[in-house]
Amino acid sequence: MTLVLAHARAMTLELARHPAYLVPTLAFPAVFFLFFAAPGTNADADVRMATFAGFAALGVAFFQFGVGIAAERASPWEVYLRTLPVGAGTRLAARVLSAAVFAAAAAAVVIAVAVALTPVGLTPRGWVELAAALVAGTAPFALLGVAIGYWAPPRAALPLANLLYLGLAYAGGLWFGPQHLPDAVQRASTVLPTRALGDVLAAAALGAVPPWRPWIALVCFAAAFGALAVWGYRRDAGRRHR
Amino acid sequence: MIVAELSAATKRFGALTALDRASLAIDEGDVLALLGPNGAGKSTAIALLLGLRIPDEGSARLFGLEPRRVEARRRIGVAPQEVAFPPTLRVHEVIELVRRHYEEPIALEAVAGRFGLQRLLRRQLGGLSGGERRLVAVALAFAGGPELVVLDEPTAGLDAEARDAVWEAVRAHAHGGGTVLLTTHHLDEAEALAERVVLLERGVVAEDGTVTAIKRAAGLTRVSFRSPPGVALDGFRLEGELAHADVEDAGAFVAALVRRGVRLVELEVRPLSLEEAIAARRTSR
Repeated sequence: MTLVLAHARAMTLELARHPAYLVPTLAFPAVFFLFFAAPGTNADADVRMATFAGFAALGVAFFQFGVGIAAERASPWEVYLRTLPVGAGTRLAARVLSAAVFAAAAAAVVIAVAVALTPVGLTPRGWVELAAALVAGTAPFALLGVAIGYWAPPRAALPLANLLYLGLAYAGGLWFGPQHLPDAVQRASTVLPTRALGDVLAAAALGAVPPWRPWIALVCFAAAFGALAVWGYRRDAGRRHR
Repeated sequence: MIVAELSAATKRFGALTALDRASLAIDEGDVLALLGPNGAGKSTAIALLLGLRIPDEGSARLFGLEPRRVEARRRIGVAPQEVAFPPTLRVHEVIELVRRHYEEPIALEAVAGRFGLQRLLRRQLGGLSGGERRLVAVALAFAGGPELVVLDEPTAGLDAEARDAVWEAVRAHAHGGGTVLLTTHHLDEAEALAERVVLLERGVVAEDGTVTAIKRAAGLTRVSFRSPPGVALDGFRLEGELAHADVEDAGAFVAALVRRGVRLVELEVRPLSLEEAIAARRTSR
């Protein structure tokens, strides 16, 4: 555990001192919320806040895992770390912990803006359920990020992560709600992981019974993305360290 | 006790055989220099010993274990040839991170003091010069207090003061019973630090022995003098006006020249350097 914390601290400090990473990660989802959601949000303020908080956490999953791993996996620093007495599991746990810090911070900024500008009215229990749904619901996307990190060439990871991040967020209805999407996108969104995420976050924000269908979908996506991530890791390790 | 060992290890990259049935064993307390020109297989040999690569044939062991085992890695400290540190981390943060992996690490202040890093501790690594970063990398190899320190080109790009600090750290580690494996292009460095050298050439172990044994095999002393015009000198190599011969018994050799009436201008008789010995051995092969 000490080593997980030590590596997580180093990863967090490293990224927190990069304004080019920190500012967009924290500010971009909140600015999006400010421009596109806050002006027209009244009755569905809790749901919009919840889905935009999910959008914020998603950004960390795609960029810290996807782009981060793709950039680092060929770096001499990563090769050096392989000579230390530390397993890959410890490094992954540290990466998850560090990402959780940034995801929580990014979601917190969105929530702060929402609370300040829209009529958010979650009960204490609602906040707890939303936090739990955010943590569990974004886990499959962290695995997708890891998969991107190990499959995408370093130069391709950033555009690919951007494409998937913005495309999936839009088509999943995280910005406007799926009912406001064009018909064709609305039909496609039913099979997207971001639609399932939006549904579980909306249910948590409304204090509704957790819907089983999107949760099962998220579990299936987690299994698929996890398998893709493990396959990518083994493929990369096989190429680089055999 | 054998600390690290390659047994008939072969490593190929496509059509290139980087290491060809190479065997070497490093005993506890050894300071061993792995020598060879670029592309000789030094870094590949190190990568196999550290578990960063797996041999296609043969085996690599660290403390009798598979090198990727955490139990083996807990006993080694490494300074790779190339380390691109995270630029925003501070020097003390990286040293602390590495120290945490070991059971009996050296105190941060002691590591900094040994390598003259005190004034750099609060600096971000991205702001350091190449030589300073190299020195930090070498310091990290010692920071955990490991039994075996592996240094790949440890003094490349260092100034004289920093190089002395590295040499002193290697000697202190060996004096304390530790083991050191280092690669270097500088044969004077190998001669100054190592008791034993392994020379790799095109992936094959060409020499493996003590510095003294390699020098002895080549001839212990070098006799040089300004070559007199018109005198035939068998067994000498000419470099401009200087004639050189590597011989075992310099006294008898010079006496023979004197008896022949050869004028010995600017005569110099000195022990052969390791570099000269290896060059002479290469020529004789």
